[in-house]
Amino acid sequence: MFAYIMRRVALAIPVLIGILFLVFLLNRLIPGDPCRAMLGEKATAQVCDAFFKRYGLDQPIPVQFGYYLGRVVTGNLGDSMRFGRPVTEMLTERLPVTIELALTSLVVATFFGMLLGIMAAYWQNSAVDVATMMFANLGVSIPVFVLGLLAAYLFAVVLKDTPLSLPPSGRLPAGMRVPTITEVWGLTNLEGPLRTLLDFFSQMYLVNGLVTFNWKLVGESIRHLILPTVVLATVPMSIIARMTRSSLLEVMNLDYMRTARAKGLNEGSVVFRHAMRNALLPVVTIIGLSLGGLLSGAILTETIFGLTGVGKTLFEAISSRDYGVIQGFTLVIAFTYVVVNLLVDISYAFLDPRIRLG
Amino acid sequence: MSTSAVANAPQQVEPIFNTKPRGLWSNAMSRLFHRRSAIIGMVLLGSLVLIAILAPVLATHDPIQSLIGIENVTKRAAPCIHALGCPADQPQHLFGTDGNVRDLFSRVLFGARLSLIVGIFSVGFAIIIGATLGSLAGFVGGWTDTLLMGVMDILLAFPSLILAIAIVTVLGPGLLNTLLAIGIVSIPVYARIMRASVLSIKQQDYVLAGHSIGSSSRRILFQNILPNALTPLVVQGTLGIATAILDAAALSFLGLGAQPPTPEWGSMIGQERNQVFSAPHLIIFPGFALILTVLGFNLLGDGLRDALDPRQRS
Repeated sequence: MFAYIMRRVALAIPVLIGILFLVFLLNRLIPGDPCRAMLGEKATAQVCDAFFKRYGLDQPIPVQFGYYLGRVVTGNLGDSMRFGRPVTEMLTERLPVTIELALTSLVVATFFGMLLGIMAAYWQNSAVDVATMMFANLGVSIPVFVLGLLAAYLFAVVLKDTPLSLPPSGRLPAGMRVPTITEVWGLTNLEGPLRTLLDFFSQMYLVNGLVTFNWKLVGESIRHLILPTVVLATVPMSIIARMTRSSLLEVMNLDYMRTARAKGLNEGSVVFRHAMRNALLPVVTIIGLSLGGLLSGAILTETIFGLTGVGKTLFEAISSRDYGVIQGFTLVIAFTYVVVNLLVDISYAFLDPRIRLG
Repeated sequence: MSTSAVANAPQQVEPIFNTKPRGLWSNAMSRLFHRRSAIIGMVLLGSLVLIAILAPVLATHDPIQSLIGIENVTKRAAPCIHALGCPADQPQHLFGTDGNVRDLFSRVLFGARLSLIVGIFSVGFAIIIGATLGSLAGFVGGWTDTLLMGVMDILLAFPSLILAIAIVTVLGPGLLNTLLAIGIVSIPVYARIMRASVLSIKQQDYVLAGHSIGSSSRRILFQNILPNALTPLVVQGTLGIATAILDAAALSFLGLGAQPPTPEWGSMIGQERNQVFSAPHLIIFPGFALILTVLGFNLLGDGLRDALDPRQRS
């Protein structure tokens, strides 16, 4: 088991280094002059020289990459040229928004996807099955931005003044102030990594509200999260439903299932303890792979619903050629993706003894 | 008794083979036409191809030309269909007009061409490069394999849309660069499929037989291995077109793909996204065109997979 985990971790390292290099390279290849993009078309050569020197852009490319590696290893992702702040600071502020959105979507997608998939497989070829699969086919075919805009229109305009109306943008009602966790807990003098961690969680309004017993904050953040979550969850939910259905159908007719029924187990136990255990492996893979779709979808969802998360920030950084932000954010997104897939691979070992012992 | 049986044998054996055995493809085709979802997919795509070809005939207006000063119609006007009770003195616009007073119906029709082109060409590009790299890696093995697949793993480590956005940022916005970016992003998928097929087919007896009678490596690759690896490529390619169309539309929506006034569905929606609350028809019509197109490729791809899957063949 330990050897298996170590082997998987070792395999991920060259990929991570490759990502670092590719991200670095892509940013150097971006056309246009970062100095004039940042300081305006009228910046003189002298001003630009100073600018290049300050950000190390006057060095040869391999040297720049060397510097870059050294900085990343020590946790310094550079500065945003546009905002003049460290990228890590922006990440601690905006990553929580995306993580909160992605995790709620993943939970919703996994729960409802598996539920629909199990129902469709259990009542195969029934109306439930046909309806679920039609829904799943539509779900993977709807562009995230079309679904987002239509949902915003439906819930904010058509259903306005009904109890079902939902806010189409933002994370909270205008003007609502959010105290940080450290403020509520009276730890304003706290410094260091713990403070950073608490500030990070403060930005996840749902978590913040729950740990500080601020129910108004919990309620409002949920109300604002519903639309983006549902929109972002639709594609992975459809994929998970299809995968659950097909992998359940594969095991449903096997001999051991008949044995389980023959020895008098109730249906719940047959489906959830015997069938699901074997059907779960492909589903776990799909859940891991869905994360890439969630991060891609986050760019569109955050842009539509006006959420200042990683996706929206990255998109804005690309428009304004903010090298530091593009580099830092792409890197963090790709690293997250690799690490999650690594965790998925490791979870196989727990779910499937053939891998653990093989 | 045994002698008479041998003597009669030829006449008895013959009738057993009076039906010609069907090949993989004709077999698959007949199965494909027996699946409801695959038929729906083919009907959707057939209509789409017809619309794309006949767009200039079907369109009621020029898709690029603004109607300011030509017709008495306001911008973002709601659909006006005479048969459904729209006053006859108003100019007819089946899907209404957009923010630049252009006929939305004609724009949506012409959009079919762009989506089909982007989907088919980017996937075609990805399959050609991906299959070449994949068969090279699988066939040659060793360091070539490790290196090529390492690069593919790195490309796969990025969520597809984010990598595509990064590539378009480097290449510059535009439809052609979008097509290229989406093609590059999809290469690893086809490389992996091809490599896996080549590796499994390489072990088959008939390839060994080819080697033993002295066939060249190239002959074995092109005559024996490639035709047998084609099935998963066709299935993945069809599903890949759906993804490519979605990604291209997303890039255009973000303003990185097709540039206005090109009648591209994603870009049309992106241009008018802030008007969704006052003029939802500008989102609904191009949006549904996108959904139906992607649905068509998805249904056909699923149908092809079921039809071509060897495990399902009796």
